[in-house]
Amino acid sequence: MSVGPPLSRVVVMGRDVDLWLCVNAIARALGPAGVQVTAIELPTRLRSSDISATLPPLEAFHAKLGLKEPSLIRATAGSFSFGQNFVPGSGRTPNFFHAWGAYGAPIDGSAFFPCWLKATRYGLKLSYQDFCLTAVAASNGRMLLPDEATSAFGRTDYGYHVQTMAYAGYLKSIAANLGVKMYQAQKGLVERDETGSIAALIIDGSLRIEGQLFVDATGPDAILIGRSLNVPFDDWRPYFSVDRVLSARAPAFTRTPPFAEIRIAGDGWTALHPNQAATGVLHAYCGELSRDEAALASASAAASAKLADVSFHAVNPYVRSRVWEGNCVAVGGSACVLDPIHDVDLHALQLGLVHLLSLFPVTGQFAAERAEYNRIMRSYYERIRDFQCAFYAVAPFGGDFWQRARGQSVPQSLSHKIATFRARGHIAPMEDETFLPDSWQAIFVGLGVAPETWPSAIDGIPPNRFREEFHRTIEFIKGKVLEQPTHDGYLDSIGRSPAA
Amino acid sequence: MGEAIRDDDESAPFRVVIVGGGTAGWMSAAGIRRRLESKDYSLTLIESDDIGTVGVGEATLPHIKIFNDMLGVDEAQFMRETRATFKLGIQFCDWDQPGDRYIHPFGAFGEPWGGVEFQHHWLRSQRQGHQRFALEDFSYSVVAARNNAFEFPNEDSKSIRSTYSYAYHFDAGLYAAYLRSWAMERGVRRIEGQVCDVSRHPTTGDLTELTLKSGEHVAGDLFIDCSGFRSLLLGKIMGVAWQDWTHWLPCDRALAVPCKRVGALTPYTRSTARPAGWIWRIPLQHRTGNGYIFSSRFISDGEARDTLLSGLDGAAQGEPRLLRFSPGRRERAWSGNCVAIGLASGFLEPLESTSIYLIQAAVTDLINLMPRPRSAGVDARLVNEFNRLNEMQYERIRDFLILHYTANRRVGEPLWDYARSMPLPDSLVHKLALFRSRAALPSHQYGLFARDSWLAVLVGQGIAATGYDRLADALPLSALEERLSEFRNRIQTNVDDMTSHGAFIANYAQAMEITESEEAVA
Repeated sequence: MSVGPPLSRVVVMGRDVDLWLCVNAIARALGPAGVQVTAIELPTRLRSSDISATLPPLEAFHAKLGLKEPSLIRATAGSFSFGQNFVPGSGRTPNFFHAWGAYGAPIDGSAFFPCWLKATRYGLKLSYQDFCLTAVAASNGRMLLPDEATSAFGRTDYGYHVQTMAYAGYLKSIAANLGVKMYQAQKGLVERDETGSIAALIIDGSLRIEGQLFVDATGPDAILIGRSLNVPFDDWRPYFSVDRVLSARAPAFTRTPPFAEIRIAGDGWTALHPNQAATGVLHAYCGELSRDEAALASASAAASAKLADVSFHAVNPYVRSRVWEGNCVAVGGSACVLDPIHDVDLHALQLGLVHLLSLFPVTGQFAAERAEYNRIMRSYYERIRDFQCAFYAVAPFGGDFWQRARGQSVPQSLSHKIATFRARGHIAPMEDETFLPDSWQAIFVGLGVAPETWPSAIDGIPPNRFREEFHRTIEFIKGKVLEQPTHDGYLDSIGRSPAA
Repeated sequence: MGEAIRDDDESAPFRVVIVGGGTAGWMSAAGIRRRLESKDYSLTLIESDDIGTVGVGEATLPHIKIFNDMLGVDEAQFMRETRATFKLGIQFCDWDQPGDRYIHPFGAFGEPWGGVEFQHHWLRSQRQGHQRFALEDFSYSVVAARNNAFEFPNEDSKSIRSTYSYAYHFDAGLYAAYLRSWAMERGVRRIEGQVCDVSRHPTTGDLTELTLKSGEHVAGDLFIDCSGFRSLLLGKIMGVAWQDWTHWLPCDRALAVPCKRVGALTPYTRSTARPAGWIWRIPLQHRTGNGYIFSSRFISDGEARDTLLSGLDGAAQGEPRLLRFSPGRRERAWSGNCVAIGLASGFLEPLESTSIYLIQAAVTDLINLMPRPRSAGVDARLVNEFNRLNEMQYERIRDFLILHYTANRRVGEPLWDYARSMPLPDSLVHKLALFRSRAALPSHQYGLFARDSWLAVLVGQGIAATGYDRLADALPLSALEERLSEFRNRIQTNVDDMTSHGAFIANYAQAMEITESEEAVA
């Protein structure tokens, strides 16, 4: 098929979701092409209270891996999430919804956002999210099952809230059926050949496992790419104020909300991730400004519940300078750690896997693939970082934490983006974005950033066209939402988790 | 820096002044007039009948239809008035080495199977299959172009006839004239005259007023420089530096001459490599446009003239016209209150028909980022964005053009020997390595060119991919060969049913009878 024998032996070392999603992806996609995957599983770092929130693209990735949604939901006590509801709690900023669906529909060929922007300047009282079908449905506790009319209106995507341990176990059981060789290990030692490439991993001091390509799925420990290969990382802490999180469990809601809720306080924020069996609580703060006890009090107050399984963890955002070095590829937390605000961890892992598959070496000669992988992953990670930084840079909330957040560094690519948004509501288009313009607009608008102007091209649209279209859209949304099953009803219909 | 919102509708409109009335000037005028309100923006265009424009026959990209549709132009009428023909792609002759030819089509090659791009399946069949399939047989537009056939693409996305798009060849002078009447009917003021003096604001350096030879003064808030290579405002007055790309794109002159049309009307542009450059052939309804783009380092004007004239299809209509240019771009297309559009902002040789596309992209961005009426004026934040987008457009096209030159096997010809060995931009080196290793194609969301374009030219220029995506191996080989045969036959059967390009034009958009005297003038 090519110069040199095909590369066929891949060894993945890691733990938890990073390990098992990676193993599934490679075995499923490349097994038929003769690639053999060996998984070396390190002890879990998960707690039973952990709930992962995912972004919409995971659904399609699961479909490629042959995973069925209902069985996933049942296995993980999972629920659906149509976005993030931000609750500033006090002050001037009203609640706002960052939805995984489209906001508004074009008016006479012009994008919706500038039309809405102009109308608000002329007194329109409806908020941006009132025009988002997904946000309205979710706020009313409904699912949003797409049909022809909703598809014509725009995207209505969703993510999941899954019990992380159950999700990892679910992925592992599927990997076992794909013929993946599995080992468990307490630790691994790297054996390198004369070129500096990894020749084999020695696990628990005895078993030697050879491979041609090694994937580091060990999370922030970065046992292969960091500790063994010493690939440095770029510290992203200067961009972020969150350096510590509290993770805990609160009781399940009586009716499971189909969204995450981010409650803002002066010392940070608390995310509630409800699923069928429980509510995951994540409180993010700055260790220099708040002690753990204060964080616990704050998180309990935000969740209005007694918290169980409380644990504290450091968060150190970074990106590995080269995520593919020699014959070692880092995916997930070993490649990049992002801020917890937009639930992007699993998505960052997915991006790493999707691009690894599309650049999977043909033979042992893969310098071009490696260069491209390093280039494109860097670009993707930076665009996510910019989106997260934007949130903190413009957040208007009171409190030490937020004051510090606003004072952090802002990457040049982001300051340009904020500037063009302030000037004209223009989202500067860039390659490799995870978050669509709808998301940028929802966050900026929600946080009270008001563009100074709108593009003049919409001035030709008569005001009555705005009124007609706004009215039509609001009515359409109202009607569609009423047609939807409730989130709980839908979960009942696909079969509840035994854990719920 | 900020623009305050004021709604005193009574005050005067924002004054946009365009200098130069070629394709760039009139596309700018028409685009802005169509999208922005007359009460908010006044438009004045200054052009001189004494200053020629560059275009003779012009080949375009499919994007132009979006522009024309935005104006509400009637396609058949526009084609009649500009003597236009349809274009399904560009045929490259002798580029890789003499005797070779390939078409870069406006359309897809095959379709992805099992989530794997087509070129991987095709390459696999080349390596392992029993049959040798030619890549071009999987492009509807290539097969139609080879048959000199044309019909409109089908809108049903399931149909094989939906897998291509089209552009036009037209007389650029007539297109500018067409847009001129369109714009003037809608209130764009045209002043015949030449700019002889430019006034600037003493502190900001912004342009304030132009003085014409007639003595007339034209004041403005924003000036669009469409003065062509001279870059009268952006280059000469604003002094924005030139970034020279001659080391990557060595051609710096062109000789252009129309000739009599003979033979069938081809629905494609032809570009034929020659010892010191390449010759274009653009079929219009009433004549064929020709030109030799060459490097003055490697051939004299006289020799180039002889080469051009000796290769024409029909009798030359007049003496070839010489144009001098440098490839490259102004470091910023927008500086202060002066925006350059078209050749005043940069020049890339017409190898991939990108000139009008670049104008269109700049006009679209300018409309979005245009200062508001009754505002404090130009907003530096939006100027930065315009310049960022403009630079991205130029650099992406640049890499694609260089590919045509550097990937050649015309050994022993100094221009081509140079092109094979010249240092390339890193971005292109990377793209070539990736294709060679695994047939991966560059893909980006913004700007030109799309994956299938890269595929056509990489394969056409003889770049071999040693590997392909292993996900392709999931399909059994026999099933793959069946699919390939079926796909190829489906294209051929459909193309066999198509009307000829000449007949299609005659029926749809035949220009009025063209008199001999008119031809002589052209």
